[in-house]
Amino acid sequence: MSDSMQRIKELTATIENEAVRSWKEGGGKVFGYACVATPPEIIEAAGVLPYRIRALGNPDTDIADSHLSRFNCSFCRSCLQLGLDGTYDFLDGLIETNGCDHLRGMFENWQYVKPVPFFHYLKVPHLVDEGAVEYFVEEIALYRDAIGEAAGKEISDEDLRGAIASQEKIRASLRDMYESRKAEEPPFTGEEALALVLLSSAVSSDEFLELCSAVVDERKGSGVGDYNARLLLIGAATDEPMLVHEMESLGGLVVSDAMCYGSRAFWTPIDTGADPVRAIASMYLEQLLCPRMYEDFPRRLQYVKDAIEEWNVDGVIAVHNKFCDVHGVDNVQMRLALEKEGMPVLTLEKEYGSAADAGRIRTRVQAFLERIGGRR
Amino acid sequence: MTALKVAAAPTVGLFDRVSDLFAVINMLPDTMSDEEITGLMKVLPPDSAHSLTAMLKPHLREGSLAFMKMLAGWLQQAKEAPEQGKKAVLVPFNFPPELLHAFDNAYPITSELLSSLGVIALEGRGERYWDMARGLGLPDHICSSNSIELGSMLASDDFRPQALVSSAAGSCDINAKIHEFVSHYHDIPQFLLEKPVDDSERGIEQFQKNYLLLVGRLEEFFEEDLTYEKLLPVAEKTNRCAELFFDLWDLHKASPCPVPNLFALYTYGVRFSMWGTDAGIDCMNTMVDVSKRRLAAGEYPAEREVARCLLVYTSYYFDLANLFNWMESKGYSYLADGLGLLFPEPIDTSSRESILRGLATEAINMPMTRQVGGESMSMSWLEDALYVAKELNADCAIYSGHHSCKQTWSVLSILRTEMMERAGVPLLALEGDSWLERMTPMSAIQQRIDEFVTNVVASKTETTRRKVGRKKREEA
Repeated sequence: MSDSMQRIKELTATIENEAVRSWKEGGGKVFGYACVATPPEIIEAAGVLPYRIRALGNPDTDIADSHLSRFNCSFCRSCLQLGLDGTYDFLDGLIETNGCDHLRGMFENWQYVKPVPFFHYLKVPHLVDEGAVEYFVEEIALYRDAIGEAAGKEISDEDLRGAIASQEKIRASLRDMYESRKAEEPPFTGEEALALVLLSSAVSSDEFLELCSAVVDERKGSGVGDYNARLLLIGAATDEPMLVHEMESLGGLVVSDAMCYGSRAFWTPIDTGADPVRAIASMYLEQLLCPRMYEDFPRRLQYVKDAIEEWNVDGVIAVHNKFCDVHGVDNVQMRLALEKEGMPVLTLEKEYGSAADAGRIRTRVQAFLERIGGRR
Repeated sequence: MTALKVAAAPTVGLFDRVSDLFAVINMLPDTMSDEEITGLMKVLPPDSAHSLTAMLKPHLREGSLAFMKMLAGWLQQAKEAPEQGKKAVLVPFNFPPELLHAFDNAYPITSELLSSLGVIALEGRGERYWDMARGLGLPDHICSSNSIELGSMLASDDFRPQALVSSAAGSCDINAKIHEFVSHYHDIPQFLLEKPVDDSERGIEQFQKNYLLLVGRLEEFFEEDLTYEKLLPVAEKTNRCAELFFDLWDLHKASPCPVPNLFALYTYGVRFSMWGTDAGIDCMNTMVDVSKRRLAAGEYPAEREVARCLLVYTSYYFDLANLFNWMESKGYSYLADGLGLLFPEPIDTSSRESILRGLATEAINMPMTRQVGGESMSMSWLEDALYVAKELNADCAIYSGHHSCKQTWSVLSILRTEMMERAGVPLLALEGDSWLERMTPMSAIQQRIDEFVTNVVASKTETTRRKVGRKKREEA
């Protein structure tokens, strides 16, 4: 493993990583958000570190289970657990979105039991039409005011443009890294790619860009060739590098994804020339690729089909956490649509971070790989 | 050697079976003797007979027949809609159907109500349709209230609507998602009405805009202008239904409660189907009349009212006898449940615009939309639950714990804590599936309710009585 990749893995192996600690020691504030529809640009423009909440496969939910129920998704329960057990005490603020019913419950319970100093609710429509876009433009403006007030800084258009450019650099480098995985022998495994995506929302922009550039340079000319099938991972909030590691240890190689903690968070470039608030509203609503958008299945399907073709995919694994409504149904719809076109799909419902589930997942992935493995 | 029997594929859909059964019920006379009821039950399949026996108990008979005949008319009109040049539109329960009643070219059918009728009235309680939905690979945690009916639509040659209105975006992911799925699977146009999770003036104004936008889209789809002349009678009848709802509401305040437990279910059965129509008014009128007579006569099914129960969200629908009627027999009054948390406001009928604004307000106040579609799921739900508990003098609250209601499950602990702290109302959290008998042993539900009332509620009310008595003595 290269030095930079080693460093990336270290930084993404813990919630409060060294970069966050150092940021806090320097007097900086950190605001947490969970949903892909939350623009980190505005947080960054206020001089605050945006940190995307994750659970990194944490399987313990005993504290969270006395607030959320066993019928709520285990990813949200894991995140709430870390919110309540002190792991996220470094956060100075939280931004809620109505990403899904489970996420809303997670934020409400977090604020009810252990309020953070600053809390803002960004309301994201579930459809795109003129009215919804205008409403969201206003929401973004309110969000900007609230963040600015909490950070003690009036966010100017110039600040916002600067943060948009900075976040766009992050997205562009992730896109480049994903493009490189189209090669027959990709320079990154799926597990490594996920680590880079996780890093992008867990350290400052500058730190990410430096590490990303270094690891891309180090990997030039090298590639992963020892695999049986090229896989596309689609579905729910999955920030578990170990899950991808398991899949890859069985002979599959995850060459791309359409995941929430994956390409869906950075694939579309933002319009840097437009009015900054409108550009952000457009990016995080009109371009949002998420099954919570109830009129948008054809666009999501097209995105997956394009990825299958461009990354020369042999099989799709559609993953979701138990009780996830939006992905649970969307994954079935995806499977039906893709299988109709001859693309093998494994729908994998799982408990988040559960060691007890690991054997079952291995068996199912193994069977799937054997089914499609002869193609390569 | 035993011959292998292969069952025929169940191609008859839920809607067709339910509408056929209700067509028969519609032929029953308005008054029936016990002997006639007994005879009728002998020709019905066991599951159907079990439910109808519960509904046709003497004290319920008049109201139940009115309710079933109203539904028979609703189903019949839906079935005949295509022949009459109307488009049948499938709506979720939280979409007020009166808007569609105002169109000449449209007719509303409600997916959750159809599922419930299948569960209540059909042999096999609609489970085969749930299995069909599961057979497509849909997860086991999707909501049976939608998936029983929609499973039938997805996998049988059942009646199909010409359009869907989906109005759960913002208040229930799975409801919105399953409607989206059906829309794509059968290529049926979907019209989405979003309630922003925003209780500010801006959020309410946005909802009004969304509603008007939906009206415009529907006018285009039905090729029909929704004129003042078409809206006025519906708005007036909607207002009349609301008045009768409040009459019934006030009757619930008496102790012992003169309103039979099952009327809670019938009330929202009207709300989700024939609200704003003459048939809806007739049914509400009957329930009010029956309850008034019972109040005057001091009738109550048990020796005394032991507990006044508020179910804070869904109920259980597959065994009316062993929930609603059993509770009555024990003296547990069923005051309302979450689906009956209706807060109708009078519609200003002075203009087309005022009526549409009033209808939009109806829509924003629909159950589920109003509570968990609020800015804070827990606080909006809590406010309504507390209000109803205080207004109707509830001793306790019960959460049925329908496993698919992830939004309510996710904030239940807050509701439970706050109801106790703010109003001293204890809450029992059950677990089960409101529409699937196979998931939920009713005997266990009964046992838990019994234990809760005996150990928590009755002792609480006894303590309160003692405190009141002591205070009175001190004052004396």
